[in-house]
Amino acid sequence: MKRFFCLILALLLAVPCMALCENAEEIETIVTVVTAPPQTKPERPPCFPDPADDYIPLPETENLAQGKPVLSGAHTDVYVIKNVNDGKTDTYWESKGFPAETLFDLQGTYAVSTVAVCLNPSSIWEPRIQEIAVMVSLDGENFTQAAAPEKYEFDAASGNRVRIDFEQTQAAFVKVIFTLNSAARTGGAQAAEICIFE
Amino acid sequence: MRKTILLLAACLLMILTAIPGLGLADQQPAKLTLYEGPKTMQTSGDAAVSVNGYDLFVYDVMVNHEHIWNANTQPTTTPMAYFDFEGTVRVRIEMPGLSQAVESAVVQPYAWGIVPEVKDGAVSFTITEPGQYTVVFNGSVNKALHLFANPLETDVPDPNDPDVFWIGPGEWAMDAIALQDNQTLYLSGGAVLHSIISVANASNVKICGRGLIDGSDYPAWNQAGSYARVPIDLNRAKNVTVEGIGIVNSNCWNLNSFSSKNVTINNVKIISGRQNGDGFTFQSCTDHLVTNCFARTWDDSLVIKNYAGSTKGITFKNVQVWTDLAQSMEIGYETDKGMTLDPEISGVLFEDITVLYNFHKPVISIHNSDDAFVHDIAYRNIVVENAFMQGDNGNNKELIEMTLQNSSWSTVRDEFGSIDDVTIDGLTVLNTLDGKVPRSRLSGIGEENRITNVTLRNVRILGEPVTTLKEMKLSTDDYCDGIVIE
Repeated sequence: MKRFFCLILALLLAVPCMALCENAEEIETIVTVVTAPPQTKPERPPCFPDPADDYIPLPETENLAQGKPVLSGAHTDVYVIKNVNDGKTDTYWESKGFPAETLFDLQGTYAVSTVAVCLNPSSIWEPRIQEIAVMVSLDGENFTQAAAPEKYEFDAASGNRVRIDFEQTQAAFVKVIFTLNSAARTGGAQAAEICIFE
Repeated sequence: MRKTILLLAACLLMILTAIPGLGLADQQPAKLTLYEGPKTMQTSGDAAVSVNGYDLFVYDVMVNHEHIWNANTQPTTTPMAYFDFEGTVRVRIEMPGLSQAVESAVVQPYAWGIVPEVKDGAVSFTITEPGQYTVVFNGSVNKALHLFANPLETDVPDPNDPDVFWIGPGEWAMDAIALQDNQTLYLSGGAVLHSIISVANASNVKICGRGLIDGSDYPAWNQAGSYARVPIDLNRAKNVTVEGIGIVNSNCWNLNSFSSKNVTINNVKIISGRQNGDGFTFQSCTDHLVTNCFARTWDDSLVIKNYAGSTKGITFKNVQVWTDLAQSMEIGYETDKGMTLDPEISGVLFEDITVLYNFHKPVISIHNSDDAFVHDIAYRNIVVENAFMQGDNGNNKELIEMTLQNSSWSTVRDEFGSIDDVTIDGLTVLNTLDGKVPRSRLSGIGEENRITNVTLRNVRILGEPVTTLKEMKLSTDDYCDGIVIE
């Protein structure tokens, strides 16, 4: 009988001691593992469909403006004119006041018919209106109007770009003239890229 | 006799089961949520971390040990991991990335009271409370592990709600996300999002989850061809909540709020190591509440400025700060960048702030560098675990600095403001660089531009109570009045 009670006592003491040892090594755990999907590269989140399908289409011909000599008047801060035809929409030119002219030397004569003005397509660029005209020249001195001043709406939903089509005209120099920008925080014209197409 | 033995044994059993430390009192199992890292990324080779035996994905995130401004600085990395839990969990860490085996480890904040076990190069400790834990190995901050132990998620947004953008685990990239009125962005644990989030002129917006916003896909903002991409940018926003997420590798500021109202930020973790990597930075804002957050930054950690009007009602509460560069709690320097009429900064409270490390400039600073009236500013229960301010060439290494003077950040240069009614109640400094009390400085600039009514109380530095301005090494000039220590 004495042995029986000793056994009971030992068992009663052993339970907490064993639990103590287990606690140090392993804690009972309910685990939820959130698994990652198979990917080989970063992807666009599915909840944000690519808006590029709704962008205003541009001609598929060569952009005659890219990399060509371009001049303008004063610019704001660091937003220099060379940004306007560097092929990147995450850099931009901003003029210091209006009117603001950009003059492209196409380094050859082309039958141009379209000018596109692009801002950064990001949706953090709020919608805005810019008034733009296009003039062309064969000698860089005598210009004729290809597209009269008109207000164009820039909206990220359509790629923050506008397309100015006009009657096909021989041109070696193209002048794009801005006279208004409705964006509240800017004091001048803005363009990430200006493209010129035949 | 037998009854007595049985009775004693039963009592012993009851006592043992009632002791919380034995884990027998609480029979509830721990609840643990782990997040796989994206398949496109690899867990850190510097650290291996497990919780209750389950491995965590460990991220290498940018930090910077260069404690002086360098426009072309090159950050290094440190390991970071996170999980959600409830109950009791045992953390185990191995550090293969260190050149020497781990022989000692310290868990910060020290207030956790955790004494880790170091055995065979591995570090183990038990935690029972959600929070942010930093583990420093072998007495060096190199490769310190930041472990973010979140509470279990509640109120996860409905992915089918048309106003919810639900980003799941994985690595994601897009140029920018602009949130509109009443929209929610949910960033799941396990998600790494390369993008920036803008809330401009929008109300009732929420950003939540456990995932990371990662700016590593862009060079530092001041490098050729790059530009500032603020991970979360609130611009004239109202009623915004940011909760639970992490921000790492930003190429500029981290969580910015400009002219916004009613913003609540909770359990947001920031780690940055690049140029102008300010942490929580608010300009001309009202009614912002920041709680239970973490900011390790390579520029000011908690920042208040005036860019276009006044600031009022900003509270930082229970925030951990690690300042590798600049100030920990900075008001200024710009206090009237927008050159508005009668600018003020008032109703600001820093409470229960733990500064794990400050390596550069003042811990508490008000640099009224324009012409604002800065008043009703309170600091309560500030613990500076390591006040290692090196300053710039021996300058700007004060513990507390309040000044009225022009700086390179001044816009208003011909007028000055004032500073009034500042309370520092509860300031504890545990360690300093040289084992001495660091200096502090208050400096006005004219009869009409003074620093007045600054009260310090309950100050302890290096274990000793500080009860005089002399002991505090606090200097004032002729344009300071009512500066007292109690």
